[in-house]
Amino acid sequence: MNFIKRGALNVTRRIGKSFILLFIIFILGNVIAGAISIQQATSNVERTIKERIGTAATLEIDYQKLDSMSEQEMMEVDWTPIGRDLIRQIGELSYVKYYDYSSSTWLGSDDIQSYEGGMEVHYGDSYNPRFQLKGINYARVLDFEEGRGQLVDGRVFTDDEIENGASVAIISKKLAEENNLHVGDTFALTNKVFDYSAGEEEEIASRDVVLEIIGLFEPQSVAENDGENSDRGMWDWMDIEYQNTVYVSNQVVREENQFHMEAYMAIDEEYAQMIENEEIHEHFSPIFILHSTDVAEAFAEEAMPLIPQLYTVRNVSDHFDNIAGPIKSMATLSGYVLIVSIVASVLIIGLVVLLFLRDRKRELGIYLSLGERRSRVVGQVLLEVMIVAIIGITLSLFTGNLLASGVSDTMMKSDTNQQYQDYYFYGGELHSNLTTDDVIESYQVHLNATYIMMFLVIGLLTILVSTVIPLIYIVRLNPKKILM
Amino acid sequence: MILEAKNLNYYYQDGENRRYILRDTNASFEKGKFYTILGHSGSGKTTFMALLSALDEPHSGNVLFHGQDIKQIGYEKYRRNNVGIIFQSYNLVPSFTAVENVLVPMSITENEIPKDRKNVAYNLLDYIGIVKTKADRFVNKLSGGEQQRVAIARALATNVELILADEPTGNLDEEMEQEIIDIFTKLAHEHQKCVIVVTHSNEIAQQSDQIYTLKKGVLTKHE
Repeated sequence: MNFIKRGALNVTRRIGKSFILLFIIFILGNVIAGAISIQQATSNVERTIKERIGTAATLEIDYQKLDSMSEQEMMEVDWTPIGRDLIRQIGELSYVKYYDYSSSTWLGSDDIQSYEGGMEVHYGDSYNPRFQLKGINYARVLDFEEGRGQLVDGRVFTDDEIENGASVAIISKKLAEENNLHVGDTFALTNKVFDYSAGEEEEIASRDVVLEIIGLFEPQSVAENDGENSDRGMWDWMDIEYQNTVYVSNQVVREENQFHMEAYMAIDEEYAQMIENEEIHEHFSPIFILHSTDVAEAFAEEAMPLIPQLYTVRNVSDHFDNIAGPIKSMATLSGYVLIVSIVASVLIIGLVVLLFLRDRKRELGIYLSLGERRSRVVGQVLLEVMIVAIIGITLSLFTGNLLASGVSDTMMKSDTNQQYQDYYFYGGELHSNLTTDDVIESYQVHLNATYIMMFLVIGLLTILVSTVIPLIYIVRLNPKKILM
Repeated sequence: MILEAKNLNYYYQDGENRRYILRDTNASFEKGKFYTILGHSGSGKTTFMALLSALDEPHSGNVLFHGQDIKQIGYEKYRRNNVGIIFQSYNLVPSFTAVENVLVPMSITENEIPKDRKNVAYNLLDYIGIVKTKADRFVNKLSGGEQQRVAIARALATNVELILADEPTGNLDEEMEQEIIDIFTKLAHEHQKCVIVVTHSNEIAQQSDQIYTLKKGVLTKHE
């Protein structure tokens, strides 16, 4: 009948008290388990989301700096846009995996219908530039490499086609289906130039841009498939715009912009003279894919001195804070809940153990009178509490996890409804098709080895502290005071 | 000499005054004898008992076991290996059966105990007058006399030479009291134990081999 056997016997012999203790530990364990599982999930979500957002960076006008400038400063500022050479120089930095730069223009068409997401849209006979001609320099199409879209038919560009400005294009599958187009077919977009100087719209030039379809793509996003998505309208708008995007080489875009400019020069001598006297700058939106999010800061530090004064480096991962609002508030809340629940557990379990020990004070005195070592008396009671605690904590491990999953799901949904408009990130070349719904979807409350270990350590330590404190109070007593 | 009390002093501090419970108390005890410490309520006999059994510590003086100070042996170790204690209120573990209560000290002591401990426990209980069917009962299902027998069996379980009992018959009727006293006499005379019983009963004292009287903290040996 050593102290281990005594402890085990006491658990079953005092079944009522063991059950009360089990119930209390189970309830408190649920709170702790819930808080830890939310903590775990939120700490994992940042890494997951940043991986999904990608490692893109771009150079763009620093509008904050621009807003803070005086008129005088604005007059003196260098407005030179980001040139091809500078983009290539930055693209050669060691942090960059690959890069692209893009120019774009908007064209209409008499030949094909734009995709409108199943909505009935009537533009009448007026010219409506619904198609974004997106020029690229990276033949394999950076948007496809980064998961914004996926090539579902045909092929990507060759380096020759990009270099020589071949009249080939990649369009969306839905746009192709809308117009019964297939890989190998040709279609025509129309580049019309209008003069508004007389107060009315007057067409001054027009030409067709005939392009051969070499590939079809489909947009990739979690949110696209979510029929219950509360942000549906916003998503639809983004989706429709992307479905009507036509990928071509930068050269094709350049020629159409040139046509546009020349048409204006033909009717406006003053404008023509001004253009002829000045260096013509092309406007490119660069995008750099970095090796990892960890180098984003170093990349920005190295690129900043190279770029014109008015520009800044913008990383896509900077937008995590905007997207992950509900997650962050959940993490903060669960942190507080965890601390409060641990303190409450120590107090409540401590008091319950103290009450139970008061009943058993005489029994502990008996062991001491028989010469039992104080450490073993403490060990016996600890063992009894720990047997009950392990059962209670194991049960609450699963129920707490389920509880946390339910609570966080409800909280995030309500949080999302309040803040949905803040989460879209759609600017310049840094497209993120990741929405708050994607963030929420990637927030998974589930059991894993780390979580189980953390919960067991925190839970059992809490109970250990709660038990040892009242226990020490009793076993330090002289056996005579207890028994005689 | 198995046990000696040398110049034991024990007092309660009351402000600047000391209220002595035991003052320069000396006594010696041998194996094979049944001793009684006789005294009225509040005479300090329970304190004396607590000091002999190392449940408490004297303010000065020594308790020697086979000539060695029990403080040097270690109070816990002394209780574990050298003394069996019987209380007036039995002090059995209520959630255990009689035999389990006897098994408890067997796992605590460092003395050599036969391997078939449970049989030894049953035999001890049987010797003291608790049959097997009662030995398997929870102790709170036994009568006062039976519980005290279990407590005696527990005191004998570690095969110690010294048995100390504090008013062991205080809660028992006369018939049961005599049975318990007979057991103590038998243990002393037949098994060469040193049995020291603290009591207020003259009847019990008269049956012992040696009486010590404790009055106002002073212990007197009856010749």
